[in-house]
Amino acid sequence: MSAERDLLLKLQGVSKRFGEKAALANVDLSVQSGEVHVICGENGAGKSTLMNIVAGILRPDEGEILINGRPVHFSDPIDAAGAGVGMVHQHFKLVPSMSVAENLYLNRQPRHWRVFSDRAAMRAGAEALIRRYRFELDPDAEIARLSVGQRQRVEILKALGFNARLLILDEPTAVLTPPEVAELLMIISQLKIAGRTILFITHKLGEAKTIADTITVLRDGERVSTRPSRGLSEADIALDMVGREMRPPHRNIPPRAGDRPVLALSGVTMTTALGRRLLDKTSLSIAFGEILGVAGVDGNGQTELTEAAAGLAQIQSGAILLAGRDVTKLSVRARRNAGLSFIPEDRLDRGLSATMTVSENLCADLYRRKRLVGPGGLLRGAAVSAFVSATIRRFDVRGATPSLPVGQLSGGNMQKIVIAREMEKQPIALVVAQPTRGLDIGATEFVHGQILAAADAGCAILLVSSELSEIFALSDRIAVMFRGRVVGVVDRAVATEESIGLMMSGAVVEAGA
Amino acid sequence: MMWASQFLAPTLVQTTPILLAALGAMITSRANILNVAVEGMALVAAFTAIAVGQATDNAMLGFACAILAAIAMALLFGFVSIVLGADFIVAGLGLNILAAGGTLFLLEQVYQDPGGLRPDSFPEIWRVPEGSLDWLPVIGPAFERQSFIVLIALIAVPLSALFLYRTPLGYALRAVGEDESAAVAAGIHVARMKLIAVLISGLFAGLAGAQLAMDRLHFFLPDMTSGRGFIGLTAALFGAARPWPTGAAAFLFGAFGVAGDRLQLLQAPSQFVLMAPYLAALLALIFARWRAAVRGRPAPVERKAP
Amino acid sequence: MRRTFLSRLASALGPVWAVAAVLVVGFLIVLAISTDPVLAYRDLLFANFHSASNFALFLNRLMPLLLIGLGVILSFRAGVFNVGAEGQLYLGAVAATAAALALPDLPRPIGLCAALVSGMAAGGIYGWIPGALKVRLGVNEVVGTLMLNFIALLLTEYLVTHPLRDPVAYGAVSRVIPSSAWLAEIPDLPGATSGTIVAVLLAPIIWLVLFRTEWGAQLRAAGSNLRFAETVGVDAGRLIMVAMAISGGLAGLAGAFYALGIGHRFEQNFSPAFGLVGLTVALLARLHPIGLLATAAFYALILNGAAYMQIDTDVPRSLVGLLTGLLVLMMTVRPRRSALAGT
Repeated sequence: MSAERDLLLKLQGVSKRFGEKAALANVDLSVQSGEVHVICGENGAGKSTLMNIVAGILRPDEGEILINGRPVHFSDPIDAAGAGVGMVHQHFKLVPSMSVAENLYLNRQPRHWRVFSDRAAMRAGAEALIRRYRFELDPDAEIARLSVGQRQRVEILKALGFNARLLILDEPTAVLTPPEVAELLMIISQLKIAGRTILFITHKLGEAKTIADTITVLRDGERVSTRPSRGLSEADIALDMVGREMRPPHRNIPPRAGDRPVLALSGVTMTTALGRRLLDKTSLSIAFGEILGVAGVDGNGQTELTEAAAGLAQIQSGAILLAGRDVTKLSVRARRNAGLSFIPEDRLDRGLSATMTVSENLCADLYRRKRLVGPGGLLRGAAVSAFVSATIRRFDVRGATPSLPVGQLSGGNMQKIVIAREMEKQPIALVVAQPTRGLDIGATEFVHGQILAAADAGCAILLVSSELSEIFALSDRIAVMFRGRVVGVVDRAVATEESIGLMMSGAVVEAGA
Repeated sequence: MMWASQFLAPTLVQTTPILLAALGAMITSRANILNVAVEGMALVAAFTAIAVGQATDNAMLGFACAILAAIAMALLFGFVSIVLGADFIVAGLGLNILAAGGTLFLLEQVYQDPGGLRPDSFPEIWRVPEGSLDWLPVIGPAFERQSFIVLIALIAVPLSALFLYRTPLGYALRAVGEDESAAVAAGIHVARMKLIAVLISGLFAGLAGAQLAMDRLHFFLPDMTSGRGFIGLTAALFGAARPWPTGAAAFLFGAFGVAGDRLQLLQAPSQFVLMAPYLAALLALIFARWRAAVRGRPAPVERKAP
Repeated sequence: MRRTFLSRLASALGPVWAVAAVLVVGFLIVLAISTDPVLAYRDLLFANFHSASNFALFLNRLMPLLLIGLGVILSFRAGVFNVGAEGQLYLGAVAATAAALALPDLPRPIGLCAALVSGMAAGGIYGWIPGALKVRLGVNEVVGTLMLNFIALLLTEYLVTHPLRDPVAYGAVSRVIPSSAWLAEIPDLPGATSGTIVAVLLAPIIWLVLFRTEWGAQLRAAGSNLRFAETVGVDAGRLIMVAMAISGGLAGLAGAFYALGIGHRFEQNFSPAFGLVGLTVALLARLHPIGLLATAAFYALILNGAAYMQIDTDVPRSLVGLLTGLLVLMMTVRPRRSALAGT
């Protein structure tokens, strides 16, 4: 078939395991030359693994890669670049102290007399590349001083600069504001006109539909479908991604608005040494049993918001109130004792100590409350055992025993330990950030269930998430953060993805919403 | 002006081992390695310099073997920590213990004198000829009769800057230290870069040890390096692994040692004099961190009337 | 169940393999240089048991290794790379000596206690300093403690050659301390200080504190993941400083025991690198207080044995130093990188 000859990239039977887990199982993929091919899937579906294999970062355990019909074996990303494959990563791989030009030419520098770096040639080459794609970057600018969108453009240039015919973009819009997203989509159309082929990974259905010629859906490491995007609805794609009809989670008990707020931040401001405002007079209040979802692109102050509320970061002005009491000057421990719990956004960074046991992570600050400590501070072994085993059972933490190092559990089960610890205190207020990042469907459902149950029990919940679908599924009200400010708070009932999306890019919604 | 060159001359002698150790530590710092092993590598070099110099009555041969010995130790250190995955600090401490124990063992076994190796005569290394620089005020007399290693050390500072910022290898090294994933994505072989950094630090440590033993002393004592390697490491930390600040810091700490010697004329006990470089290094580090803490403090929010 | 037992066994045997390998290397060296290698190694390993006085010397060496090792375990488990034990040891010894010399008229138990407390306090403060510098200012503790070591040793050298100097004795030694402050010997073992018994008893106590108390769990949390400890409300900064103070205090106690119980005076250079060897045995024991009993005993054994080996066979005692270097170099080599602080 003539279509075969137009295939720039063909994957046949590609499989990859990490330890016992099969990240990819027998995946086939066909990408036409000159098309924009979107790969969709939930977190953990295998999208990044597949793209890392194409880009030469990982090697497949089984299967073949063919470029223009010829089989290739990439030993490293440079090999792949030589064959015309360039990848733009989700986490940029740029050296902060070096300039744009220096990053573009890293490890392939033009030389003076074979020993010295020819910086003038690097600068000239970078300028030519920037002008060719009309990117508006200063080749001498230090990466550390560029915005996220600009850095992404440097990454794209890096991938293009070596005559990449196939450009892979891994979740590129996760860190962009809506106008930057629009710019990126425009760049992609331009590249397509210039004859490049684009592989675009995303789990955001709207984007997929906008940009794609063809959409392939992965689920649990397998390819579920490949269809032209015309005529495909978002619901169709979602069905393939998830495999069944999603039951939206629901609240049994509505929140009690109008009471005195349980958790409130008032005029909270956090500045850096240079005076930049990470939080700018932020004010939020959450009532008994209410879930307030905070939406926004990562990096607009959400992390700082959660850390300020938990007491892990200092604020320069404003107040934080818990059940009417000013806790601004209280330590983390004091706030926790007063009934505040915190599920941090990165469970391995803040939520757990991977080398310590399940028991030690679970009981971390519950010893006194659960009467697990005897005289002299000695632990009561039997009581600890009983508590931990009961909790493991109640939360259905798979594969966990009390003395197992917690880092050996799967992501979802680790998250369950964090949740169990934070919920066991029956908190009156809960701050939770990115609760289902990196979790599969089953674990996600469980976590959402726990959050809703806590709200039903009266807990005031501050939920921060970069997944708009999660915000919409759980929140009673939705707040949007942009550049450290709360630019609007809307009732869930009247909120739409458009209006929230607008606010995420800084537009202010009229009052009354 | 006489006293200026009289102060400068011994300062150059005392500072050079510290400066060389600092540059070695700096290069490895750039690859994100805290290199405590420069101390042991310098010690081995000092021993080799005296041992070979005495046995062959050839200063340059002693010098060459000292450098090679230090590089060999660096290779061992690099192999164990980079290839075999040992913790850098523990392996570094281990190397220092090995150097101290090994040199002492050789002293006892081969030379039958655990107190040290003191040859009756020892060949001289090349020095700046006397009288050749008296046309240069202040600096000239201070540089006369300085060993060639001192000159190497001084040139090494701008050379390191050139290496780090103007050569592809320097770029690669900095990338490895600053953002390993960026380096990997660019196809840089991280382990190889780290090993190169460690070997370069071995070269510098070897120069340091050779200078220490061969310039004025002409003998080897156990624990001769007395923490100069660590002081050099401190200078590199204080100078944020940048060549000129590191060099300046090393010079400063060395100068404290010489100033201490002058203080002895005022009959201060010798122990406090000897303490000076260590105290200076520690206080400098504390000061640097304090400055960083003050600078990093969040800006206060002005309270404007609403 | 079986899996954890086997993996525990494997991790306990790891150091055994390392030690065995190093002993083999040592034997090869001895073979090359000595006419009676077997006697050399027999002395190295067993001479400690040939007589009561040999055994007493072995116990005397065990004491500082145990105490310093326990201190290192505490500080490392709190996430601080404390290499300052030598300085803390020396300051503890000189403080105990100075206190005993300054208060000669106190009755026996009080004089002794005052001296011991001085030693612990001196060591404790000297351990607290780098801890506070690290917590408050982020000063690198490896470099900090290394500098402090040199400063401490020079300070004690000054003290022992000037104010505390013994005018009649030869060398850098202090005056003999009054017998009211002498630490008792172990009954039936002349020459062996009772400080060793205290050290041995402290090992299971430290184990208990580390693994069976809330404070210990908090400490290990701060050491294994500081951000996690902060998140669950642990006052990590204060905890680290306290751990460093205790660590220094233990080393200071060792110094005090040494000055008061062995030699009964302060002697510059009394320590054959107890600080570094204490670090070695702590790491060899994978930072486990009970394992430390075995590794410290082993090291006290060969450190002592080396002296007999040198007397009987001409093999230099610094062989042990050389082998120690090899051991520490190889000790953290792992096929899979696991953290130093495992259970």
